Amino acid sequence: MTPVLDETLTRDVLHAALSGGADFAEIYAEERRSTSAQLDDGRVEDVATGTDRGAGVRAIAGEVTAYAFSNRMDRDALLEAAAAAAAAARGNAKRAVLDFTRAEPQVLHAPGEPAGGVARERKVAWLREVDDAARSHAPEVRQVVAGWGDSVQRVLIASSEGLWVQEERHRLRLVVQVVAGRGGILQTGFEGPAGLAGVELLEAHPPAEVGVKAARQAVTMLGGVPAPAGEMAVVVGPAGGGVLFHEACGHGLEADTIGKEASIYRGRKGEVLASELVTGVDDSTEPNAWGSFSFDDEGSPAARTVLFDGGRLTGFLYDRYWASHDGAPTTGNGRRQSYASLPIPRMTNTSILPGATDPEEIVADTRSGLYAKALGGGQVNPATGDFVFGVSEAYLIEDGEITRPARGANLIGNGVTILRAVDAVGSDFDSRPGTCGKDGQGVPVTTGSPTLRIARMTVGGTGG
Amino acid sequence: MAELEELVGAAVDAAEGGEDVEAYASSSRRTEVKARRGKVDSLSGSQTRGLGVRVIREGRLGYAWAADPSTDEAAALVAAARESSAAASPDEANVLPEAAPAEPLDGLYRAALVEMDAERKVEIAIELERAAVSSRPEVTKVEDAIYADAATRVVVASSRGVSAAYERTDCWCMVMALAERGDETQSGFSFALAREPGELDLEGAAAEAAERGARLLGGRKPKTERLPVVLDPWAAASFLGVLVGALSAEEVQKGRSLFADLVGEEVATELITIVDDGRLPGGPGAQPFDDEGVPTGRTPLIDTGTLRGFLHNTATAHRAGASSTGNAGRPGYRGVPGVSPHNLLIEPGPDGPEALLASAGRAVYVQEVTGVHSGANPVSGEFSVGAAGLRVEGGALEEPLREMTIASTLQEMLRAVTSVGSDLRFRGGSVGAPTLLLAEMSVAGA
Repeated sequence: MTPVLDETLTRDVLHAALSGGADFAEIYAEERRSTSAQLDDGRVEDVATGTDRGAGVRAIAGEVTAYAFSNRMDRDALLEAAAAAAAAARGNAKRAVLDFTRAEPQVLHAPGEPAGGVARERKVAWLREVDDAARSHAPEVRQVVAGWGDSVQRVLIASSEGLWVQEERHRLRLVVQVVAGRGGILQTGFEGPAGLAGVELLEAHPPAEVGVKAARQAVTMLGGVPAPAGEMAVVVGPAGGGVLFHEACGHGLEADTIGKEASIYRGRKGEVLASELVTGVDDSTEPNAWGSFSFDDEGSPAARTVLFDGGRLTGFLYDRYWASHDGAPTTGNGRRQSYASLPIPRMTNTSILPGATDPEEIVADTRSGLYAKALGGGQVNPATGDFVFGVSEAYLIEDGEITRPARGANLIGNGVTILRAVDAVGSDFDSRPGTCGKDGQGVPVTTGSPTLRIARMTVGGTGG
Repeated sequence: MAELEELVGAAVDAAEGGEDVEAYASSSRRTEVKARRGKVDSLSGSQTRGLGVRVIREGRLGYAWAADPSTDEAAALVAAARESSAAASPDEANVLPEAAPAEPLDGLYRAALVEMDAERKVEIAIELERAAVSSRPEVTKVEDAIYADAATRVVVASSRGVSAAYERTDCWCMVMALAERGDETQSGFSFALAREPGELDLEGAAAEAAERGARLLGGRKPKTERLPVVLDPWAAASFLGVLVGALSAEEVQKGRSLFADLVGEEVATELITIVDDGRLPGGPGAQPFDDEGVPTGRTPLIDTGTLRGFLHNTATAHRAGASSTGNAGRPGYRGVPGVSPHNLLIEPGPDGPEALLASAGRAVYVQEVTGVHSGANPVSGEFSVGAAGLRVEGGALEEPLREMTIASTLQEMLRAVTSVGSDLRFRGGSVGAPTLLLAEMSVAGA
């Protein structure tokens, strides 16, 4: 693999970044080529190709981090960025750049058939398959928007500690949103498979099937009753519990949130803070998963971190800065959206692991409540753990059976309380890709879980 | 390094017969400083630029973009966009605007921001944090105290004769204060925006963040009931943000607007007037021309409760047989223009927020809504969101309330407004609102 920057220039930039006396200097350089297309209202539009490139130079002196980036990759621009970082990160350290040691990946996510080599016409034809299948699913389908996005990102990360890491990441995402209408009611359905993979991703997720799934969700919700409001038992379908775990709990386990004393989990490692049925992990080694990589964006190898083990809090998610701040090893969770951002601790593929109970039994054992099959986005206040989630597909549970769809439900509660209130964990499992936003940076993640039951939680709805 | 004018020139020159080419180039210099515990925590500086090219051939549109291209690469982008156009569907609305001169906007660019050195910016962030932790005893630290600024230059040119450029400066500060009592922590957020650092109200933002956090301490879940709701300007703007899509002609034409077919009808109480003003002095989204070179203006959308029209770019206007309202908006050089507001706002009313509270009687004051993005359906208008705030008794703010949900529809909400405050404020984006008093809504808690 030809590096994004040559070795001599890289060494010179790091020397320049250290020249103010910084303890640590790093350069992150990338080039990302992407293709996208959208099919909206039956028309193919927004067929586009893009080339993004840039480099960020980071210098750390004590607790001060300086960062300068540019999308000019010539020697002058990079040395100017390094000088700017050096001026802000002043210290007394006298450090030189060691010889680089090339790090070999322990886990590869090589694509079967890279999307970059596939003609635009073939990609557009897949979008048409999504559209056709969604529209033929039911006469109520009013609108279909299908989007394609693939990219190949070449990264180089080198540091004053002699780190030299290169990685090529191939990503592909196919998304569809369907609007269905009946009478005056409109409802939406969504599906969006994605992977750190090539077009072989479509073997597991045939475009027609993707279109039908989104259409089915929209049409089903048309028949819904307004969701009930108040406290009740909530059974969360497979994958949905992963969103809950990610938002309500995962963000509070990211070391920057803890370091800023803004997490309820601070200083509580070793305590039993969740139901003993809950074991949760973050795993960036999962083959070809949307949130995976060989190295994180600071060059640390991909890893699996157990966050909760049988309800006991066992791990936090670290990047390099916070690991060194806390005297802990990095867990390989330093990620950034692009060269334009500093790395921060982020989740990758976060899951609650399956338990032993048949998921059908969980529902049968629930007298009344809400079945949250698919969760929409959510928001959490990490300082308190309070969260709210939209439920994009919900049903009433009446006498141990999933009955009518329920519209407009959301789940509101507190991360710690909810994890304690989990009283059943299914033996099934599923996961969903998504984009997690934090500090203005979006990174690809997946969230996974089995079917879960929360004994009691607040449901917000309009049905009183 | 080529000037932006040279890059767009090289692209437009590469146009072949029978096609239209538009080139959009932008460059920006940004600084961001975070303070923590009286010191600089991080400082980030950047210089970026790029070029995006639209090629329209036989009604088919293709797009290509690159960060920091050379003039040769600029011409190559035209070829790539041409290839992409071949895979797209023809659409007669794929047209470029004709050239029209835009009046410059005075004061959009301030040399004072560009000339300020990084050390002074670091001091601003530190001052902001210090002000936040010294304004209330319950607040001894912040989660974030940030100063950031940007100087941006935009150049647009096309084979239709468009040739326009502007420069702007923006700065903002943001503080998330942490208020503590016992083992409870609450966070309070505030920010301020300005064109140059000297005009930022640091003290005001810091004190407000501390106050907003501290007053939530000891909050409890309320009982579920129906009662009047007072939305503070940011909470009101959060809801208005969901309506942005519904007021876009693009969403209307694609059947995704709850306002489609309602032009001329009453969609809100007569107290509600919503406009988008691209030339509002001091408005965060002010710009002399939109992202395809069309001059901006003031567009009435809802006038004393009656829906008057929608926001248009050149393509949506072509489809509707209307004129562009100068609302083409694009994600910088990385994407094609869609429709977006500049400064979308609810016109303020005559009374201050205190007067609204006084007339509310027994009510809930909402200072924070969460999950608006996921909890509100912009197509059906249904929403159910999380909220935090305070109880209102006899016109005064009383005990804090948390873990509430408010559920209704956006349509009902617009009809439920019984009073509009005078205190218009912009949220981070380009949406602004004053305090609103709403008739009874369902507030769910325990």
